[in-house]
Amino acid sequence: MIEDKQGGEANTSTQPQGREAQGRSHADSRQIRKARRRNHAWVSRVFLIVHLICVLLPLGVIVAWSFTASWPWPDLLPQQLSSRGLVELFLSRQGLGPVLAQSIAIALASALLATIIAACAARALAFHDFFGKELFRFATVLPFLIPSTVFAMGIQVLFIRAGLANTAVGVVIAHTIVALPYAIAIMSEVTVAAGQRLEQQARVLGASSLRTCLHVQIPQLLPGILSAASMVYIISFSQYFLTLLIGGGAVKTLATVMFPFLTSGDRTIASAYGLVFLLSTLMVFFLFEMLLKRFASREVSYFEG
Amino acid sequence: MKPLKARRIRQRITPYLLVTPTIILVGVFVYGVVNGVLQGFGIMPFLGRTELTLDYYIEALNRNDFLASLNYSLYLSLTSAVLALIGGIALSAALTRVRASRTIQLFNIQIPLMTAHTIVALFLVSLFSGSGLFPRLLYWLGMIDDVGAFPSIIGGASGWGIILVYLWKEIPFIAFYTATIMMHVSSRYGEAANTLGASSLRSFFSVTLPLCRGALTKASLIVFAFAFGSYEIPFLLGPTLPKALPVLAYLEFQNPDILNRSYAMAINGIMALICCIAALAYFLVLQRERKERKSDD
Repeated sequence: MIEDKQGGEANTSTQPQGREAQGRSHADSRQIRKARRRNHAWVSRVFLIVHLICVLLPLGVIVAWSFTASWPWPDLLPQQLSSRGLVELFLSRQGLGPVLAQSIAIALASALLATIIAACAARALAFHDFFGKELFRFATVLPFLIPSTVFAMGIQVLFIRAGLANTAVGVVIAHTIVALPYAIAIMSEVTVAAGQRLEQQARVLGASSLRTCLHVQIPQLLPGILSAASMVYIISFSQYFLTLLIGGGAVKTLATVMFPFLTSGDRTIASAYGLVFLLSTLMVFFLFEMLLKRFASREVSYFEG
Repeated sequence: MKPLKARRIRQRITPYLLVTPTIILVGVFVYGVVNGVLQGFGIMPFLGRTELTLDYYIEALNRNDFLASLNYSLYLSLTSAVLALIGGIALSAALTRVRASRTIQLFNIQIPLMTAHTIVALFLVSLFSGSGLFPRLLYWLGMIDDVGAFPSIIGGASGWGIILVYLWKEIPFIAFYTATIMMHVSSRYGEAANTLGASSLRSFFSVTLPLCRGALTKASLIVFAFAFGSYEIPFLLGPTLPKALPVLAYLEFQNPDILNRSYAMAINGIMALICCIAALAYFLVLQRERKERKSDD
């Protein structure tokens, strides 16, 4: 791809070369420029590889630690492998299963709620003019900018009075609120990109608004819907402070249960928690990616056929 | 005539119906923040206290640990935001330059986005604590003599462990936030500048980067506000003193004496005020973008 680009540049930069000397210096500078461009691609690749190592190395260390029985200083590699960490997590410590199930349920509910609400808001922002639109656009990003710690401590009294404190429903609402800006940002982008042409065509051809929604809008927006949903899922799954304050210890999620272990002495247990956490988020992400691939290809054939 | 009129009315109210759920949720958010800030002024109707007082703010500001905490939080969040911005630009530019495939983006952006901050704290502990992998490597290379010779990241006042967590998470976040627009701008204008004879470095700095300024500013404001207001990372990796502001606030909040909450809320109020400045800057960027959209039309 990069070779293509250089070829293209060589073609387009042929300029009238009247005098010999100027022509040569032009060719020289072109050579230099080409070399420089190649250098930059090289720098970019190295940068990406270094960044990739920074991303993957700690993941590898966590996986290694969670299957390690002993890894004494100063060995570079673990000495003995065991499944103690994971076994203890799921069997001895009153079972992590229910906690994991509750975390996934809360995250899925938040993802569903936030994505639907964000899709509506994004549609209003993209296609409608209404009173206070710019203020609304700004209001949607407020949870991005005002810390959720301030929100959590302030809202606790209201949630207690509304009977939402210490309940999973309350936690879902709180998670939806803090994840909403992400969902709206993603949905806005795809809604604007999709435009209104196809749905207007469907309406003109006599489709009901429900059919238009099911057969035109949702397929068109699907990549955004799935990406917003997986983003909200991850944000909800990761919340510690908000879950602690609203759930009050009664609502246990993986994020709150594992927190005290993270910096504790038992590195094997901490890493086992980390591994379970990473797998639960990765699993959902790849599930959504698969859904996207399956339905996106169907959408293409739908429009071509 | 009649159905047409009905349709027009329906069309006019549609946007309001669409935004209502968001307004309710954002309303709850704002209510929570305002309620907290009011409690800092001593207004706690649920305890029968409705008189406004500045005592808690004054007392909070006069505490000798408060200013140290404020400075520490500002230092952590500003350093994280600036470094994440630089790293994010570099990552975004590198992804644009090599026209990254979906797989490369997955590993460079999606995986960090998917990993919780608390897990990243665990990464940092595994790599850089006294007995972590990095000190082991240094020992192996003969650069340190013993366990503990490497400065621990837990509880260090320099806070570089905390900053590293934010960088690991937010550099990909800034790239995520800006890579799409940068790829678009670069293929539309950057390459035009190249064809006209600008070096790719020059076209990046004088064409692509200025056109992405809005998105970059917004992303780094978000990073600043997040690093400034989040509790988990400074709690896990921060020093005993000075504590980051959210840690200090939650400590006061947990006090069994409920009146003590007003101190926590006064600290929260000051945090909210600083974040409001960030929010105002964000709003100005939005306004400018709106004007640019209008002039494009």
